Amino acid sequence: MANLMPKRRLENIGLGITGFCVALVALVVVTLIFMVAQQGLSTFFVDGMDPVAFFTGQNWIPEQERYGALPMIVGSFAVTLLSTLFALPVAIGSAIFVVEVAPGFGRRVFQPVIELLVGIPSVVYGVLGLYVINALVKAVFGDAAPTGAGILSGALVLAIMILPTITTLSMDALRAVPNQYREGSYALGCTRWQTTWNVVLKSATPSLMTAVILGMTRAFGETLAVQMVIGGVERSMPTGLLDPASTLTAALTAGLSNAVSGSEYYHALWTLGLLLLVMSLVFIMIIHLIGRKGAKANG
Amino acid sequence: MSKLDLTRRQFMGVFGATAAVAGLGLVGCGGNTASTEGDEGAADAALAGSISCSGATSFQPLVEKAADAFMDANPDVSVAISAGGSGQGLSQVAEGSVQIGRSDVFAEEKLEADQVEGLVDNQVCIVGMGPIVNANVDVDDITTDQLKGIFLGQITDWSEVGGTAGAIQVIQREAGSGTRATFENAVLAGETAPDSFRPVAEVDSSGTVVEQVAATEGSISYVAFNYMENDGIKALSVDGVDPTQENVENGDFLIWAYEHMYTRSDEDEATAPVTKAFIEFMLSEDFAATVVEEGFIPMADMKVKKDVDGNITEIA
Amino acid sequence: MASRSLDAHVARIDRQDKIATGVLTVIVGLVILLVVAIITYIIVRGAGRALTPGFLTNPYNDEALPGILYQLWDSFYLLLVTLVISVPISLGAAIFLVEYAPDNWVTSAAKTAIETLSSLPSIVVGMFGSLFFVVTLGWGISIIAGACALTMFNIPILVRTIQQALEDVPRSQRDAALAMGLTRWETTLNVLLPAAMPAIVTGVVLSAGRVFGEAAALIFTAGSAPARLNFGSLNFLSPTNPFNIFRPACSLAVYIWRLTSEPTAGSTEIVWGTATILLVCVLLFNVLARLLGKFLSRRLTAE
Repeated sequence: MANLMPKRRLENIGLGITGFCVALVALVVVTLIFMVAQQGLSTFFVDGMDPVAFFTGQNWIPEQERYGALPMIVGSFAVTLLSTLFALPVAIGSAIFVVEVAPGFGRRVFQPVIELLVGIPSVVYGVLGLYVINALVKAVFGDAAPTGAGILSGALVLAIMILPTITTLSMDALRAVPNQYREGSYALGCTRWQTTWNVVLKSATPSLMTAVILGMTRAFGETLAVQMVIGGVERSMPTGLLDPASTLTAALTAGLSNAVSGSEYYHALWTLGLLLLVMSLVFIMIIHLIGRKGAKANG
Repeated sequence: MSKLDLTRRQFMGVFGATAAVAGLGLVGCGGNTASTEGDEGAADAALAGSISCSGATSFQPLVEKAADAFMDANPDVSVAISAGGSGQGLSQVAEGSVQIGRSDVFAEEKLEADQVEGLVDNQVCIVGMGPIVNANVDVDDITTDQLKGIFLGQITDWSEVGGTAGAIQVIQREAGSGTRATFENAVLAGETAPDSFRPVAEVDSSGTVVEQVAATEGSISYVAFNYMENDGIKALSVDGVDPTQENVENGDFLIWAYEHMYTRSDEDEATAPVTKAFIEFMLSEDFAATVVEEGFIPMADMKVKKDVDGNITEIA
Repeated sequence: MASRSLDAHVARIDRQDKIATGVLTVIVGLVILLVVAIITYIIVRGAGRALTPGFLTNPYNDEALPGILYQLWDSFYLLLVTLVISVPISLGAAIFLVEYAPDNWVTSAAKTAIETLSSLPSIVVGMFGSLFFVVTLGWGISIIAGACALTMFNIPILVRTIQQALEDVPRSQRDAALAMGLTRWETTLNVLLPAAMPAIVTGVVLSAGRVFGEAAALIFTAGSAPARLNFGSLNFLSPTNPFNIFRPACSLAVYIWRLTSEPTAGSTEIVWGTATILLVCVLLFNVLARLLGKFLSRRLTAE
C-alpha cells in the first residue's frame, strides 16, 4: 500500500509525524517555563513583594509571612561548591589514571564500576546519607553537630553522587586529546606526568570545565538525597558547615504539601522553583560559552 | 493469594482495555473523581460511587483503616486516599478536585475567607500532643512558661528548668506543619521566636521527630500522643498534668487539635451520599474503638471544645 | 657539571612521575573501594529483609510481614506507561533532528528546548506536573500525571541516545537506500531504524533504569501514599484496580522517601529491604540493556 502512495505525500507524512513530536516537546518546555514564571513572578506582581527583599532576605518564616530566600540560596550554593570541591580531585585523578596510565584496566574494570554509581537512585543515596553519613558526621564532630544533619553531610552525599558524572565526562575529555600531542611530548623527553600535566590536561581544559559544570548542575538540582540529610532549617542563615540548613530543592519538597495553592506561601515556593529553573539555564549558557571559547582556542 | 490468580488471557484482556481507557482518557477527564457505577435513582439501595480524599498525613492511617472497613461494608464504593499535606488537601477540596480534604488545622488558618465559605467542617476526632525529650534528660515535668521559653530560644540549658546542666537541642517540625501550628498556638500564645533562634533540625514528620529526639542528647520536641510510646524518648507532663486521653477530654491538658475532614456544601449529587456516609462512619460508635486504638480521641467523649482562635470552652 | 644537574633533573622528574602515579593509583583504588563498599553495605543491610519470603508478595499493610507488592507493581506499571508515552515521542523527535531538521532557528530552538529539559531539576518537573497535569488538565494525582512527569525527565535522555544511534548508521547504507529511489521516510523506516535498533533498545532499557529510581518528580504527581490494589478487580475506574491510570500510585523510590521522612516502628528494615530491591532492579536493567544490545546486534547482523 505504502509503495503506491505518491512519494512526496509519504515524505510529508514522515515530516509531519516527526515534526509533531519535536513541536510537542518544545511546546511542553515552553509551557513549563511559562507556568513556572507565571506562578513564580506572582510573588512580586500579585502579592507585591519586593524582589530585592525576597532574594536578600535572611529569614524564611512562612507563619509570619516573611519570605527571604537567602538561607536557601546560600545553602544550595554551599552544598554545590563544597561537593564539587570534594569530588573534583578524585574524579580528575581517576580519569587521568584510567586514560593515561592504565587504559585497558579503565575500559574493562573501572568504567563498569563507576557506571554502577550512576545507576543508584538518588533516594538510595539519601538513605545512605541519613543512616551512615549523618551518623559519621555526628560521631566525628560530637556536640558541634548534634544530629549530624547539615551542610557538610549534604555536600558529602552530593560529592558521591556527582563523582561518576564528573569522572566519566573527564575520561571522555582526556580520551579526546589527540595522541600526537602525547607523542610529541614524549619525543621531547617528557615523563608521563609532565605530559599529562602540561599537555593533556591543558588541551582538555574546556571539556573538563564542561564536565565540572555538568556535575554542578546535577548537585544544584538534586532534591531528595539532600533533603533527607541537610536538616531542613530554613528560618535563618546557616553560620557554619555543620549547621543544619536547607536548599532551594529541599525547601520545595518540604513546603509544597503544606502550602495552599494561590497563597503567598505557595507563590513564594514557586519563586524558588523559578530560581532553580533560571540557574539551570545559566549552567547551560556557561557550558555553551565554554564550548565556543574552546572551539575558538583550538582554531 | 487467590486474588493474584489472573490467567494470562485475563491479563491480556485487562491490559488491552486499560490501554483503550488510557487512550480515551488522555483527552482530559479525571477518571477517579465523581464516577458512579450504580444507578443514581436507587439511592436507598446499595451505596455506590467513588470518592477521593487527600490531605494531612497525620491521621491518614486512621482514615485508611476507616476506608477499608467502609469499603468492606459497601462493596460498590471506593475511597481513594492520597497524601499531600493539609495545604494540598484544603486547596484540592476548595477547587473540587477531591471530595474530602483532610486537615489538622482549621481551614480559616490556611485559606482565604471566600474559599472557606463553600466548605463544610467535619471534625472527625481529636489529636492530643505533648512535649517529648530524649530519654536521658532528667526532667519529667515542665511548666507552660518554661516550654515557651525553650521554644522562643530564651531558655537554652536544662539546668534552668531543674535538670542537669546541658544544652537544650530544639527539634522543630517544618513550617506549615499542623502539629507545629497546634503546639505553638497552645504554648507560645502568639509570641514568635527571634530571627536569631535556630533549631537543630526542622523535620517533616512526627516519626522523624521521634527518631531524632531518641538519637540526640538533650533534645526536646513535641509529637501527638500516639507517637509517645517509643524507645529512647519520654513524654513530659505539662504544669503537672499528664498527656492522657482523659486529661484532654476533661479540659485539663491544653495542647490538642481537631482532625478535620472538609467537604463541599455544593458537592455533586453523584458522590455526596458516599461522602456523607463515609464521614458518618468515621464518627460512628462502631469506629470509636479503632480511633482510640490508633491513638486519637473520639469526638463523642469530649467535654470541652476549641474554636478557631484556640479558646477552650465547656460543652454545654 | 651540566650532566650532573641534568641527572638530578631526570631523577627529580622521575620521582615526580612515580609519586603522581602512586597518588593516582591510590585515588582509583579508593573510588573502587567506595563503590564496592556502598553496594555491599546496602545489600548486607537489606538482603535479610529482601529475601524474606513474602516481602515481595505481601501488601504494605500486612500485619505479620509488611511487603512491597503494590509498590513493586506501581513502579513497573509507571515505567511501562512512561515508556509507552516517551518512546514514540523521542523516536519521532530524534528522527526529525537527524533526518529532516532544516538548519534554521526552528531546529536550534527545538534543540535548546530538549537541552533545557535535560538540565531541569526533577523537583521543578514535579512542581510543573502538579500544576499542569494534575490541576490544569484535571487528571488528579494519578499514574498518568506521574508518567507524564517522568516522560519529561526521560525524553532528553532518549532523544540523545536515539539520535546518536541513528547517526552511527554508516553513511553508505543511507546513500544506498536513497540511490534506490526510496524517500527519506522510507529510508528511515526500512533501513536506518532496523540498523540502529540494537543501540536504541539498549538506550531505552538504560533510561528505564533511571526512570525506575526517580522519586522527586513523582511525589506531587503520582502521589506518595501507598496505593491499595485489588488484583481481582475488573472495574477499570476503581482506584484499587491495578491498571487504572487515573489512580494514585506509590513507586518503590517514593516509598523509600516516604518511610524515611515518616518513619514508623520497624520501617528502617523495610527501607533497607526496599532499597536493596530497587538497587537490584536498576542493576538488572543495566545488565539487561547490555545483553539485549548484544543479542539484537548479533541477530540483525546475521541476517
